[in-house]
Amino acid sequence: MRLLIRAFALVLFFSPALTVAQEFPVTITHKFGATIITEKPVRVVSLSYQGHDNFLALGVKPIALRYWYGSHERAVWPWAEEKLGDASPVVLRGEINIEQIAALNPDVIEAMWSGITKHEFKLLSRIAPVVPSLAGYNDYQMPWQEIAETTGTIVGKRLEAKSLIDAIYKRTKEIRATHPDWQNKTAAIAHHWGDSPGAFTSDDIRAQLLSSLGFKTPEIIDRSAGENGFFMSASAEDLSPLEADVLIWFGEGSSLKSIRGLPLRKAMKAHKEGREIFADTVLASALSHGSLLSLPFALEELIPLIELAIDGDPKTQVPSSVEAKIAP
Amino acid sequence: MIWTGERSHSPADKFQGRRKSRVLYLLFGIFLLALVLLASLAIGARTIALTEVLQALSAPDMANPAHIVVLELRLVRTLTGLVVGSALAISGALIQTVTQNGLADPGILGINSGASFAAVIGIWAFGLGGSTAIGWAALVGAGMATLAVLAISNLGGARGNPTHLILGGAAVVAILGALTSAILLNAQEDLNTFRFWVVGSLSAGGSSQSTHILALTPFFAAGIVCAVFAARGLNGLILGETVAQSLGITPARVRLVALIGVASLAGAATAAAGPIGFLGLVAPHLARAAVGVHVGWVMLMGAVIGPVVLLSADILGRIALGQGEIQVGIMMAALGGFVFVAVIRRMRVLNT
Repeated sequence: MRLLIRAFALVLFFSPALTVAQEFPVTITHKFGATIITEKPVRVVSLSYQGHDNFLALGVKPIALRYWYGSHERAVWPWAEEKLGDASPVVLRGEINIEQIAALNPDVIEAMWSGITKHEFKLLSRIAPVVPSLAGYNDYQMPWQEIAETTGTIVGKRLEAKSLIDAIYKRTKEIRATHPDWQNKTAAIAHHWGDSPGAFTSDDIRAQLLSSLGFKTPEIIDRSAGENGFFMSASAEDLSPLEADVLIWFGEGSSLKSIRGLPLRKAMKAHKEGREIFADTVLASALSHGSLLSLPFALEELIPLIELAIDGDPKTQVPSSVEAKIAP
Repeated sequence: MIWTGERSHSPADKFQGRRKSRVLYLLFGIFLLALVLLASLAIGARTIALTEVLQALSAPDMANPAHIVVLELRLVRTLTGLVVGSALAISGALIQTVTQNGLADPGILGINSGASFAAVIGIWAFGLGGSTAIGWAALVGAGMATLAVLAISNLGGARGNPTHLILGGAAVVAILGALTSAILLNAQEDLNTFRFWVVGSLSAGGSSQSTHILALTPFFAAGIVCAVFAARGLNGLILGETVAQSLGITPARVRLVALIGVASLAGAATAAAGPIGFLGLVAPHLARAAVGVHVGWVMLMGAVIGPVVLLSADILGRIALGQGEIQVGIMMAALGGFVFVAVIRRMRVLNT
């Protein structure tokens, strides 16, 4: 009897581990078919531009990661620095170089947000199992939650990934609860690319984060979306589509100068009422990365700024806008 | 094969009648230009009535968004089109006369390739972002490329030989093109900045466009001075080198002055609006169709017709998509293609 109780206790003690442990092989079905990962991968190559963030969040250090942008030595942004520790993965720059990847001798190649073609998928699959974006999503349009969860599946940590996703959900829910005044207000994320201003549509990952806080994308932005669907171009001659209760400017490098130089911006209601937020390079990048590490970082940065902007009172100045010299 | 312009000029040339029709053509050109300038102020993403445009110009009210658009966006853009269009047309007329080749444009001096190469270097190695900063790099690049072309074309002994000039230009263009592509392939991230610059735009400078144009004025002015000084000599050169020399013209000197004019006009135009192709090729032909081959007249008429064509392309680019714009460089190349087909139909090429 005692033995039985002991055995039972033992089972109880280990059962969480039993339920968490994920069985390999796993099969992941995706836009190019299905990929089988036979055993828990050790040498992970991350071809997604922000894929390394999710692996690092799960405690897995990729042996190679993809350079997106910015001037960080290891191509990793501040929110992921700590998790990377003193590891120095190979940084893959520019186009995908099949030979370079083959030489890394990977166990698995993650490529959900890399834009790889079917041809590249086939070539890479001869090196190691490859995970491209899931079926139903165009390049770079897979939602962050699914990317994060699938990343977990790849390394046998799906439940850990889910709990990290849930933590972000929990945080956005909290923010919604403590900010009832934000609900159903409009928020636009605007940018200045090339030589015209524009904004992200509600299909975009950045706008989706704001919608999880209760904000809506102004309808006119969605209506005038271009073919690619995730942004629209406005004209410097008419900035009215960008009017919103909160207007977040993505300004990186020389585009801040262009934003400042928009003559009609000063005539915008959002400007006069101090509703503009300037998302500097790091905050804009954190929102764009949409990863398990960057999103919590972005939320904490953004909340105090939104609080100051949404009141429609130009006297409560938004520090980031003051610093960027775009405040009223 | 000697190219002699659209019209074979008979010796008598009905000189008086010719002069009269030239003046008429020029006046008509100026009338067209005035229309296009007004249209450029009135047409765009925001429709603004002509009366309001005139009001904005005469009694500006900076609380009125329409007035802000006219004065702070379209006026600078229109003036840029005026200056760049004239400069490219004049430099095109000069280079076609110097090389005695109707297919020449400022690009054969390596202006565009030099400017693009310098722009890429500026963006890639020095992190230049704004189009004004890139513009200055482009100006330096255009100047250096022209010097290189001149140096190469003088290698063969016969100084200032038009064929050598064209071949030297082709060599420099090829080398710079290869280098530019090589850098672009390895600098993905910087590609976007370059991509927008290289198609050409009359408004890329944004709020700093007006000071940018102002800062480039000395180059435009120097180019025009060169063009004026070279004009008489170039008319002599059209008659042939020996005739020119008997008229007291030093061909090498005339060519050099003209080429300096081409480089500073086209270089400054590229610095102001990016490398806009085709206008330097097309505008002189249009001008010749109206006023004949006299270099001074071609340049004068070109200075009027160049901005008409360029601003028309820009205006079309603003409305073609319904929403968003097509950059003027793209519109220019597309429209210029059609214009050129019409020009070729009229062109006479004599085999001698």
